[in-house]
Amino acid sequence: MNLNAVGLIFGTAFGFVLGWARLTDYDVIHDMLMLREPDVFLIMGSAIATAAVGVRVLRAFSVRSIVDGTPVKWAVDTPRPKHLWGSALFGVGWSVAATCPGPVAAQVGRGQFAGLFTIAGLLAGIVVCDRVRARRRRAARPLPLGEAANVVGL
Amino acid sequence: MNLLTARAPWYLAGPVIGLIVMLLLWVTNKPFGALGGYIELTEWAGGRRPGWRVYFTLGVVVGGLLSAVVGLGWTPTVAYGTFDHMFGSSLAVKAVVLFGAGALMGAGGRLAGGCTAGHGICGMALGSTASLVSTATFMAVAVGMAQLLAWLFGGGA
Repeated sequence: MNLNAVGLIFGTAFGFVLGWARLTDYDVIHDMLMLREPDVFLIMGSAIATAAVGVRVLRAFSVRSIVDGTPVKWAVDTPRPKHLWGSALFGVGWSVAATCPGPVAAQVGRGQFAGLFTIAGLLAGIVVCDRVRARRRRAARPLPLGEAANVVGL
Repeated sequence: MNLLTARAPWYLAGPVIGLIVMLLLWVTNKPFGALGGYIELTEWAGGRRPGWRVYFTLGVVVGGLLSAVVGLGWTPTVAYGTFDHMFGSSLAVKAVVLFGAGALMGAGGRLAGGCTAGHGICGMALGSTASLVSTATFMAVAVGMAQLLAWLFGGGA
């Protein structure tokens, strides 16, 4: 099975549910963050619970992935400062836009074109983060020879 | 159909999203997340070929479109609910504020390695403590900031 086609199918299903549950509406997320309505917390909670059980069932039965036949597994990360600082920035943006990377794509599909501004911002933010990190890495350690050659234009 | 025009109840939407996370892992052995598609798009600009996550994001757009078509109908708009009352409905203000908010989410999500979907749902389900810390942080910050914004700009409270 083609991985890109699989991505398209899963994305379509996800986008449909996001739109259907109105997670694409400013007011739904605003009311969630204002703690006026529990629905979005319940959606996230029941999604986590369903997936948590589901993936452990897959692992318990040593299921293999359909696309490439590798045993289903996952790695988990331990918390580092970047998770804290990054998520704090993310939370500020989320509270203002009342949408996040998934729902904003569904917004555009639904014809809520204010989402295009948010998407432009997302892309710019990713580029800025990558540039800053690349610069810090270069400053933090001596360059390997190949990379140094690129920098000086050899 | 009434079921499709009405807002999906949480007990339907939540478990379906959970199933999508599980099935994606089953089919592809890859963790679910929404930010990756945008990351691949920026890498595309840098010359790397787009991967499956770009197709996933494209799918989310298509899914949103379908949800409107089978629901209340597709009606394009730049209106954005209570946002327009809080920040004003001028397109210039909207562009600046939403671009800024998007940039914070893009940079923050990239740094933290995930968003509301990747950390908040998938990572939480997989039992990642990094995702737990990330989710607790962006939830707390977003809830706090929303109160502050409502106090500053009025939120229809």
